[in-house]
Order: sequence, then C-alpha cells, then structure tokens
Amino acid sequence: MTSEDIQKIHGLRQQIIELIKVCDTPQIETILKSADMELHCALWNLGELVSLRPEMDYSD
Amino acid sequence: MSSIKVPESIKKVRDEQFWNKDIETMSRERLDALHLKRLLSLVDFAYSQSKFYRQKFNQIGLKPQDIKSLEDFKKNVPLTDKSEFIHLQQQNPPYGDTFALPLEMVSHHCETSGTTGVPLAIPYSMLDTVRYGESWVYGFWALGIRPVDTFYFAFGWGNFAGFWSAYWGARRLGCRIMSGGGLDTKGHIEAIVRMKPTVLISTPTFALRIAAVAKEMGVDLSKSSIKFTYHAGEPGPTALPGMREQIETAWGAKAGELLGIAEIDAVAPGCPNGDGVHINEMNVFSWAYDPLTKQEVTDGQIGENIVTTYANTSQPLLNYRTHDLVRRSHGCSCGRTWVKLDGSVLGRTDFMVTVRGTNVYQTAVENILSQIDGMSMHYELVLTHEDGNDVMRVRFEPMPGVDAEQATRIAQDAQEKIHKALHVKLPVVPVEVNSLPRFELKTKRIIDQRPKELRRALDR
Repeated sequence: MTSEDIQKIHGLRQQIIELIKVCDTPQIETILKSADMELHCALWNLGELVSLRPEMDYSD
Repeated sequence: MSSIKVPESIKKVRDEQFWNKDIETMSRERLDALHLKRLLSLVDFAYSQSKFYRQKFNQIGLKPQDIKSLEDFKKNVPLTDKSEFIHLQQQNPPYGDTFALPLEMVSHHCETSGTTGVPLAIPYSMLDTVRYGESWVYGFWALGIRPVDTFYFAFGWGNFAGFWSAYWGARRLGCRIMSGGGLDTKGHIEAIVRMKPTVLISTPTFALRIAAVAKEMGVDLSKSSIKFTYHAGEPGPTALPGMREQIETAWGAKAGELLGIAEIDAVAPGCPNGDGVHINEMNVFSWAYDPLTKQEVTDGQIGENIVTTYANTSQPLLNYRTHDLVRRSHGCSCGRTWVKLDGSVLGRTDFMVTVRGTNVYQTAVENILSQIDGMSMHYELVLTHEDGNDVMRVRFEPMPGVDAEQATRIAQDAQEKIHKALHVKLPVVPVEVNSLPRFELKTKRIIDQRPKELRRALDR
C-alpha cells in the first residue's frame, strides 16, 4: 500500500470516530467501534504508529 | 452454484507467499524502531492502568519516562512470572491486580491448562482476540492453508486458550469451520470422513491417537480429505522431527506447529522450512537470557525466552519469563526477518531435573525418544527421588506388533542414545501397548513422584 492509501485509512478512522461520539444507538455504536477496531488493526499491521488500543483515540 | 465471483484481488493474494509480506520481511532497523515506540506506549499503559505494574515500578523507583531504549527496557523493567500472576489472582479473583481494563471490556475468558500446577485465568478483550487470531494466520498461510480450506477442530471447547485462539485465526483467514466439540475419538473420525475437512487442528499426540483409533476401525486417514494438520499445546512436529514423520505419514498431510503461550499470544507461528518458529514481531517483543547468570544471550546461544506482548492489553505481560529455553537466530532462508527460534522450544527451565550432576530437560529426552525406531509417541518420564538423588525413568509403549524381545532391544537403543547425547543413564522400560493414558489436550509426560517439598512451587 502507498503512503496515500495509509493516510486514507487514518482519515476513515477520523470519520468513524466522529460518528461514534454522536451515535445514540447501541447497535450502530457497537458496529462503528468494531469497524474502527479493524481499521486500527490494519494500521497496526502496516507498521503505523497508532495507540495501543483504538478507543484510546476517542475516549475522554 | 452461486453467481458471486471471487474478486480477482483475492485470487491474486491467495498465491502470495506471505500473509503480509511488508511486515514479515521488514528490516531489523525498522522493526526495532517500531518495537521501541510500541513498548513505550505499553509501559505507559501498564503503569497507568495496572496496580501491579505501578507498584512494581514504584518499588524500584522506575518511571515510564526513564525508558528510552530497547536496552533500557530489557535491563530496567522488572521480570515478571506466572507464579506472581497466579498468586495475585488467588488474592483478588478472578484476575488480580495485574488486570488493566474495565471488566465489561473483557470479551473472552480462558485458563491455562494447569500442567504446571494451578491454572492461570486469562482475560481477553475483543481486540486481543483479533490480534491473537492474526498470529495463527501467519502460520496457517506459510504452511499453504488458504481461505478455501475447511478446518476441523478435534477439540472440546473448554477454557483452553490454545484452540479458541486457533478458531479466532481460522475465522480471520475466512475459512469454513467445523467443530468436533462433544465427540469422542471415534466420533471425530466419523465426522472427518463424513464432512471432509482439509485442515485438522489438535494437539500433536491427539492427532496420532486419532490415527491409531482410525486404523483399528479400518479407516486409513492418509487417504482422507485432510491436507494439513496444525498443532500447538505441546512439543510437536517442529520440536520433534520424529513426530512430524509419524503425523505426516498417518494423515498423508503436511504438519505445522506454532509456539503458543496462552496468556501471551500465539507467540511464534511455524517457519515454512519446518525447522523452527518465528516470533510474531507485530504482537511480541522478545529477547533471551541465561537464567543462571541473568545476562542476555546472543544468537546461537541457548537462553530463556523473555516475552512482552502487545496482544494482551487486558492483562499486560512485560518482560515475562516463559521458562522456555530457545536458540534465537536471524536471517532465515524462508524470507521472514522475524526472530527465529531454531527447533522451537528446546527445553524448559522448570522441567529440568538434575540426575547424577547432569541437568536433564524434558524436551531433550523427548527429542531423542521421537527418533527411536519401534518406539511409539506414547511414553512418560517418571521422576522419583532415591538415595538423595532425583531419578528419571522412561516408560514407553512400543509400536503395535512389536514383541517383547524387540521391545527390550528398543529400550536398550533408547538408553544408549540418551547416554550418548545427554551423558546420563536413564532407565528405559517398555510397557504394554495401550496401557498409558491418552489425552485430548496436553499429554502429561512428566509423572512426578518425588516428595512435594523437593519440587518447585508450581509443580506441587
């Protein structure tokens, strides 16, 4: 993957995190968190520097 | 037939040699730089979230910001041991003060098999299970297993982490999964014949047990649908070449193995060369030291594997003593740059007995036994204490059809080969075929009949 592709994944995470913060439906929030976990996992396995756990990027 | 076509991109990936070439062949420089940043993040996390680590660091006046290099991490972060974790869990069940997440984030609970004494409770978050599963996939892929394959789990689905994590891996790879839960050995054979899976997941000795029972039933599993067998939980085809030959012959399949440590990760998936395992350096940072001198050992020397995992954030494990004796190397011909453990685990520090002044390791003896003609994989090592000395006796079942005279010769052969390789004389005694117990999970090889006060705490 190119560095541009990787940046797109970072960008997708940002969009999902914004949605998690405003989501008020337990089912959809769970699915969004799951999607963010997978994208976090993708970045981790691309050797990117991401936080140890995905929710550390959106917890207060 | 479905009209849904497999995308070309997926078809292409199926031919790739690696599950993720970029990271499996990453340069040592980049890997080490990544480890340092990830370790600093993990140290911060463990210090802030786990009472155990906070106290451990505070006791020696260490702060997370004092760690600035991999050397600092290896030298200054205190070693941890399973016995500490078990002790803390007993004081404050279920997970003790090492626990680092809110309980509602734990999605799976497992326990160690308890082969060294009291089982250790292991919490995993959803993320931990995903990362753990990934470790298996590196091994599956390297052996040749692909999403089109079908897994059969000859496994009772208890609390044993080993094959739950294999399930997480098979699910990650996208394979079809068949459960053998609740079936006895004959039931497994009937299920395999009927459902035609292509991958068998079991302990190595249970794979041989299934094959032996199949033979009695008149079923030749070497002609079955199984193309691959994959193992963990005890020394298998990588650690014991004789066992590889027996499994591959009995099943007509390619046998693989990974080194898993329940509370850490499926630490090291098998090398496609079949002569060792590679530390999954996306999930684990490891080094090795001499348990007597406490000094780090270099490549080619035998030392105890010390592991830090990024894959268990529920119960962080930093500089964790595995008690596995390993020989590390770099630059494997398979192309992976990840540290290789030649021959997987060569022995155990905590299953070592001193017989007439010689340190004898369980796996060293097993390695010799696995290569004795006419000896089956059903044997046990009986420890006693006589006249002030530890004594180890080998009791083995010969292959079916071997008569008493041949069995005596096999015993003599084994005794001589052990003496030559390990410089110690161990009595080797044949027993009746089918007289030793069979196990679905880890085979109990060590029968410790020494007085309890002469054993290590966790072996009592």
